[in-house]
Amino acid sequence: MLTFVLRRLTFSIPVIFGIMIVTFALARAIPGDPCLAVLGERATPEICEAFARRNGLDQPVPVQLLIYMRNFAGGDLGDSLRFHRPVMELLVERLPTTVELGCFALLFAISIGVPIGVLSAYRHKSALDVGTMIGANIGVSMPVFWLGLMLAYLFAVLLKDTPLALPPSGRLTPGANPQPFYALWGWVVEGQEPAGILVFFSRINTLNALLTLNGELLVDALRHLILPAVAVGTIPLAIIARMSRSSVLEVLSQDYVRTARAKGLREGKVVGVHALRNALLPVITVIGLNFGLVISGAVLTETIFSLTGVGRTLVDSITSRDYTLVQGFTVVIAAGFVLINMVVDIMYGYLDPRIRFN
Amino acid sequence: MSAKPAQLEQGGHARSANLWLEALYNLRHSPSALLGMTIIGALVVIAIAAPVFATHDPIKTMIGVPGETGRLPSKPPCIPLLGCEEPQHILGLDLNARDLYSRVIYGARTSLSVGVITISLSIIVGTALGITAGYVGGRADNVIMRLMDVVLAFPALLLAISIVTILGPGLTNALLGITITFIPQYARLSRASVLSIKEQEFVLAERALGASPWRIVLAHILPNAITPIIVQGTLGVGTAILDAAALSFLGLGAQPPTPEWGQILSESRNYLFTSPHLVFFPGIAIMITVLGFNLLGDGLRDALDPRLNRH
Repeated sequence: MLTFVLRRLTFSIPVIFGIMIVTFALARAIPGDPCLAVLGERATPEICEAFARRNGLDQPVPVQLLIYMRNFAGGDLGDSLRFHRPVMELLVERLPTTVELGCFALLFAISIGVPIGVLSAYRHKSALDVGTMIGANIGVSMPVFWLGLMLAYLFAVLLKDTPLALPPSGRLTPGANPQPFYALWGWVVEGQEPAGILVFFSRINTLNALLTLNGELLVDALRHLILPAVAVGTIPLAIIARMSRSSVLEVLSQDYVRTARAKGLREGKVVGVHALRNALLPVITVIGLNFGLVISGAVLTETIFSLTGVGRTLVDSITSRDYTLVQGFTVVIAAGFVLINMVVDIMYGYLDPRIRFN
Repeated sequence: MSAKPAQLEQGGHARSANLWLEALYNLRHSPSALLGMTIIGALVVIAIAAPVFATHDPIKTMIGVPGETGRLPSKPPCIPLLGCEEPQHILGLDLNARDLYSRVIYGARTSLSVGVITISLSIIVGTALGITAGYVGGRADNVIMRLMDVVLAFPALLLAISIVTILGPGLTNALLGITITFIPQYARLSRASVLSIKEQEFVLAERALGASPWRIVLAHILPNAITPIIVQGTLGVGTAILDAAALSFLGLGAQPPTPEWGQILSESRNYLFTSPHLVFFPGIAIMITVLGFNLLGDGLRDALDPRLNRH
């Protein structure tokens, strides 16, 4: 198992290097002078020269790449040209929004998609099966941003005065200022900046609410999360339902399932223990692959629901040529994507020995 | 193993021709594929004959047109189907007082062509790369496939957004950006097929007879590798249409006043709470189109999969 993990790990390293080089090149290829974009059209050549020197832009490009890689290894992603703050700090501030949205979207997709898929395979060709497949086909075909807008209209306008009304924007009710868990627990010394990791976790509102036992905050955060999470999670939900249906169908027709039934095992045990364990293997892969969909969904959904997550910040920064930020955020997202796929592969290898030994 | 003698006797071409006939036969019995084909067929007719179906010029504003009584979106929509007596604008006017129905009809042209062109381009480039990697092997294989891994490591929409930002916003550049994100899928698929086919006896026999690599690839490997690519491609058209709409929604794809569904949605989104129909109809149009391609793709996959063959 250890050899398998190590082999998989070494395979990811060149990809992450490739990502860094491609991102670096892409960020440099964005047209326009970053100096003029940041300091305004009236910046003089002297000012721009000083700006280039300060940001290391006067060095040859390969040197810039090397400096960038060295800094990246030390956790320094440079300063954002637009916000004049370290990119890492912005990431700590904005990534929690996207992580929370993504986790809830996937949770929604898995907790509904897997049971529905399994049930419709078990009741093959029943009304439930046909209905699920029609629903899944429609779900896969919906544009995320359209679904988001329609959900906002339905729950914020049409159901406005009912108990089902949900807020169409933001993460918390305006004015809410939750106390971070580390402050409540006395983990931070007065007058000192709290550690980045603490800030990161405290900004995941639902987690912070649970840690501080703040029920009101939890309900508020969840109410704001439902619409964007449903919008982002619908396509993955449809894909997961289809995938679990087809893999359960395939497994149910196998000889060993027939044997299990023939030797008189209870139906619940046949499906729950024998069939599901093998059927859910491909589903795990699909869940891993859906991370990309979640990120793409987050870019669009954050724009619609006015959430300041990494997706929306990234799109805004691309248009304003803030390439240190673009570079940093893209590398972190793509590296996260690679790592998640690696974890999925390792899990797959753990669950299916045939993969580990091949 | 049982398929091998047949392949040896018939060669690549005959087998794939039979497979396609069989697939067409199977498709007749697949309700989802038939529905998909009907939707796509209807959309193609609408796109080609858009001037016939449209009631107005899609980019002409109706302000100041003699006899015009259409209401701007600040007022409730006037939809004849719902009993409103203002028949000249079936779905009402958009915020620039253009006929929404005609814009949605003309949008079919843009979306269908973007989907089909993107996927065709990425199939051509991806298959060429995949076949080269699989057939040549060695260093070429390594370089091409690692590059594909890197492209796949980026979430597709994000990469497309970055590429469009570099090239500049517009429909053609959006199309190029989306094409690049799709290439690795086809490269991987075709490489896998090549690897499994190139060591088979009929290819080895052809090589022993002195056939050139071009002939082997074009006459034997390509026809055998094309099936999964066609299936993936049909499903890909739907995704490409969604991606193009998303880019237009973010202002990076089709530019106003081009009638493109994502762009119409983007223009109207600030009016969601007062005129939801402006957002509703283009979205439904995107959904139906993508649904058509997904249904057909699923049907094709089932029809072409010999494991599911019931005959």
